[in-house]
Amino acid sequence: MFELQPFMFWLIATLTGLCAIATVISQNIVRSATWLLFTLAGTSGIFFLLGADFVGAIQLLIYVGGTMVLVVFGVMLTAQGPFINMKTSGAEWAISIVAGILLFSVLCFGTWGHFSAPQATAMDDPKDSHQAATLAQAMTGAGYGPIYKPVQRERIHYLLPFEIVSVHLLVVLIGAAYLARAKRRKGAAT
Amino acid sequence: MLTEQPGLLFVAATLLPIASFAILLLWGAVRWGLRPYANDNPAARNVFEMLGGAVPGPGPAYVATAAIGLAFVCSLIGFCIFLGEVGTMHELEHELVHHQQAHPDKHDDKQGEKKDDDIDKLRGEFNQLKHHWEGSVDWARLYSSSQKDIDRGAILTVGFRIDMLSAVMFVMVTFVATLIHLFSIGYMSDELQKEVEDHEVHTAHGHYSRRGRFGRFFMFLSLFCFSMLNLILADNLFQIFVSWELVGICSFLLIGFYFERTSASNASNKAFITNRIGDAGFIIGLMIIWTFFGTFNFEEIFRRVRCPQVDAHGPITFKIGEDSAKHRIVRGNAEQKEGYPFFKANPEGSLALIFPRNEHLHGPQSEQKVYPEPGATQYTTIPYWLLVVAGLGIFLGCVGKSAQFPLQVWLPDAMEGPTPVSALIHAATMVAAGVYLVGRCYPFFTPEVLLTISYVGAITLFVAASIAVVMTDIKKVLAYSTVSQLGYMMLGLGVGGWTAGLLHLLTHAFFKALLFLGSGSVIYGCHHQQDMLKMGGLYPKMKITALTMLMGVLAIAGTPFFSGWYSKDEILVSAYGFVMANKQHFLLFLLPLVTAGITTFYMFRMWFMTFTGKPRDEYVHEHAHESPWQMTVPLILLAILSVGVAWGWPPHIPEHSWLGEQLHHYSQPESVKVDFAEADKAIAAHHGHEVVFFTATSVVGIGLVFALVLYFYGVLDPNDAKEQFPDVHRFLLNKWYFDELYSTLLIRPALVIAHWCRNFDSTVIDGFVNGLGKWSVLTSYWSGRFDSGIIDGFANLIADVSYAVGSWLRNVQTGYLRSYILFLALAAMAIWVLLYAWANAVIGGP
Amino acid sequence: MNPVEQLNLYLALGALLFVCGVVCMATKRNAIGVLIGVELVLNGANINFVAFSRFHPNFQVEGMIFALFVIVMAAGEAAVALAIVLNFYNNHTTVDVDTAEELKG
Repeated sequence: MFELQPFMFWLIATLTGLCAIATVISQNIVRSATWLLFTLAGTSGIFFLLGADFVGAIQLLIYVGGTMVLVVFGVMLTAQGPFINMKTSGAEWAISIVAGILLFSVLCFGTWGHFSAPQATAMDDPKDSHQAATLAQAMTGAGYGPIYKPVQRERIHYLLPFEIVSVHLLVVLIGAAYLARAKRRKGAAT
Repeated sequence: MLTEQPGLLFVAATLLPIASFAILLLWGAVRWGLRPYANDNPAARNVFEMLGGAVPGPGPAYVATAAIGLAFVCSLIGFCIFLGEVGTMHELEHELVHHQQAHPDKHDDKQGEKKDDDIDKLRGEFNQLKHHWEGSVDWARLYSSSQKDIDRGAILTVGFRIDMLSAVMFVMVTFVATLIHLFSIGYMSDELQKEVEDHEVHTAHGHYSRRGRFGRFFMFLSLFCFSMLNLILADNLFQIFVSWELVGICSFLLIGFYFERTSASNASNKAFITNRIGDAGFIIGLMIIWTFFGTFNFEEIFRRVRCPQVDAHGPITFKIGEDSAKHRIVRGNAEQKEGYPFFKANPEGSLALIFPRNEHLHGPQSEQKVYPEPGATQYTTIPYWLLVVAGLGIFLGCVGKSAQFPLQVWLPDAMEGPTPVSALIHAATMVAAGVYLVGRCYPFFTPEVLLTISYVGAITLFVAASIAVVMTDIKKVLAYSTVSQLGYMMLGLGVGGWTAGLLHLLTHAFFKALLFLGSGSVIYGCHHQQDMLKMGGLYPKMKITALTMLMGVLAIAGTPFFSGWYSKDEILVSAYGFVMANKQHFLLFLLPLVTAGITTFYMFRMWFMTFTGKPRDEYVHEHAHESPWQMTVPLILLAILSVGVAWGWPPHIPEHSWLGEQLHHYSQPESVKVDFAEADKAIAAHHGHEVVFFTATSVVGIGLVFALVLYFYGVLDPNDAKEQFPDVHRFLLNKWYFDELYSTLLIRPALVIAHWCRNFDSTVIDGFVNGLGKWSVLTSYWSGRFDSGIIDGFANLIADVSYAVGSWLRNVQTGYLRSYILFLALAAMAIWVLLYAWANAVIGGP
Repeated sequence: MNPVEQLNLYLALGALLFVCGVVCMATKRNAIGVLIGVELVLNGANINFVAFSRFHPNFQVEGMIFALFVIVMAAGEAAVALAIVLNFYNNHTTVDVDTAEELKG
């Protein structure tokens, strides 16, 4: 029986994983950034697949739209000739890859071997996507849950963390602007 | 005040010399203090000049002489008043005793009340008279747990009590001391110079010269007089002890007056140390008395140790065997009866009864309850042997002070002091103190102690007289004669001749002062030549001195009708009586009898050698001269008294000596008659007086004949005798080798022991200490090695290991971001793996 | 295909992204490359969050909310990191992280 869901998963997951690997192994920083862009996009696809439309949208907006632009901007600012291709020695490569494979196998062992949550079940119909309204309800403290279910007012709400994150973001942007400001240092002047 | 209490005259007489001492001390102190500033500071110079300036002035002598002269006047007046009252007092006392004996219990008598009135009246009069001559103030209050019964508590008092003995002693001491002061003004005139050259001290630059010490001499004399008078005045043993020590220190200061001379400083040390031995005994006696009697007052001690004649209920009927216990020391044993200890009288008992302090209790019955608690009854006991020890202890003090055998060695050496000091020590004060104390404490002495006193006296008098025979130094002869005469006194006291012994003390004081001052006059006239071998034929040069000294010689020899005869004859009579009663102690009569002849011999030998014959040394003879009036007047006065002080009526019977009778009637303790009743009987039974008169006189005559033959007519050459018996001569010349004996027996062993102690100290103790030191150095060294090697090594090892590990680990801190990430990944992986392994092993799977 | 197996697959994808990010950080000498590795790691984590929100009843909303937070965090982190990189470049005229070794032991 052909099911769209696993097919889409395998498709998007394979693309995403390959893009991630490509990101790692590409020597040119510009290419690497490009591969990352694809990876992020694939991730948002996974989010859509999981029914988290809103998160997927935010992923596309902020990561692919905001963060990637920022990264590319940084690459362009620093990507002068010699820095584009900074080679890493083969031994380092070998060690890193071995360590990566080991870590991956440990994680997979954990996933399949022992620590998968036994009570995990597909809660709802996968076609039911968690709409932005649900998230907004949780964020603003109005409670949340599927629209067709009674509102569970006693559940946790995330107004305060939301505000903190907003302020945090603001502070970070100001700090980043401050750090990136071109300083006239003595060494730089000469 | 004086009419109320004429006894205060004697107190004044005592205090005058101490006032003089204080003035002279202040005077000398101010001069001494100003002397360094006298040259620079005009004010200081003025005061210094006013006080006599650099040259010692005669002022101190006048102060001291005036003080002691006034004291003499006071005591003479006091003595006269006392003579007027003593008879009445004595009669009243007898009447009181008689009344109480006649009416034993006033409650049984119907006429008792009337009698009571009589008795109270009598008692009132008696107490009033008694109050004239007694007084005391509390000095220090002490508490003693064993004296709960005493309502007054244990108190040290300062007081005075005048009886015939002390009154007479007062007059004698102040008189002799006054004359000695007067004599000293002349004799010590050398000290008036600014610079005195001492011919007997040799230094690298010739003779030693120093400032004159005129004032100091009289200051010491004043203190000496005060001490002696206070000793006579005292009504308690403690006050006597204080004075006793003061006398000791004064003799130390005066014997060592020429302390630059080695011999003088040695002599003063010797006198002081020898006296310390005696004083140790004295202190033992005092402690025993204080412990058992709780008082030092003479009257109370005697009342408690001797059985009283009466109490408020009548006469004491207590008997020991057949005899009444009156005035006796009552011995007995403690026995258990009805749960209480009872006192059973027994002449051989181990305990002595201590009688009640107050007389209002029943007299002791033959079996007297003795409660264990002293507060329960007034009757307590003292172990008899302790009583003996206390008596012996006090007597040991007297032995030291009065230079008796075996502590006689200091007195001849004490001749190193100035001659007036010798006179003062030998005649009036220091040596008299010992005899006086024996006389004073007489009722306290048990028969054993008295026998010891007799034998000590007998040995002393013989030994000293035998040594005096061969001495050629004029002062040494007199010194040994003093020791010998003191022996007579002790003997007299010991054999029951209380009056005789103390009378001899008085007469001896006069003629011995005379002899010493005479010898001082001779020495002064011969320019400090003391050796009789360089004198001779001095009679024409100094007639007054020679004649007065002849009086003294005759008196000391015991020539009839001279004062010495009365006292010595009485002593011999007492000894005769004692020996007749106790034949085994025949030596107590034989030795003094023989010594009487020896005394005559050596005293005339001295006189003949000094004043008659051919001059042996031309230089001395040519320069000899008679002394000034300050010295001859005392000699004449003393000579008169030496002859006549003991006279009485009729003069040919010694017992009728006026002075002796006074002492005998008014001062002799009642216990003497009781203790020596047998001896008194024996005197009467064996015609004691006649026998003694004839034997003694003939012995004295023999001695005189020997002296005449050997030294006046020169029929026999004394040198022949010397060569005939060289061993005897050497033995005597070396004073029976007493000094050598003590040196061998005491001093050298002490030195040897001290040497051992030093060696022990320097080898064992020091060695131990040094060993400890070395040992700790060694341990410290090894401890240091251990510390620096092992402890430090361990600490360093830890540090080194940490350092090595650290410096190895710093390699891990590469500073490369990428390697950190790698490590991070590996670490996370390792933690996961370990977590799985742990979960599998412990939980058996997640 | 039961939900647990589905979940495991998603988790495996997250782990792959995570490991890729780690290896990227360990091998890239360029500071921007390291930043790229960090983004990969965060994405791997985000996949896990969202997967759990889908398959675990207790994390229905929380998973997504944390994913949102992580995205915001990543944005801020990227901004700060770029600022640091620029400063580093200003000071060292290079973006080679191996030259930033002043803090080595």
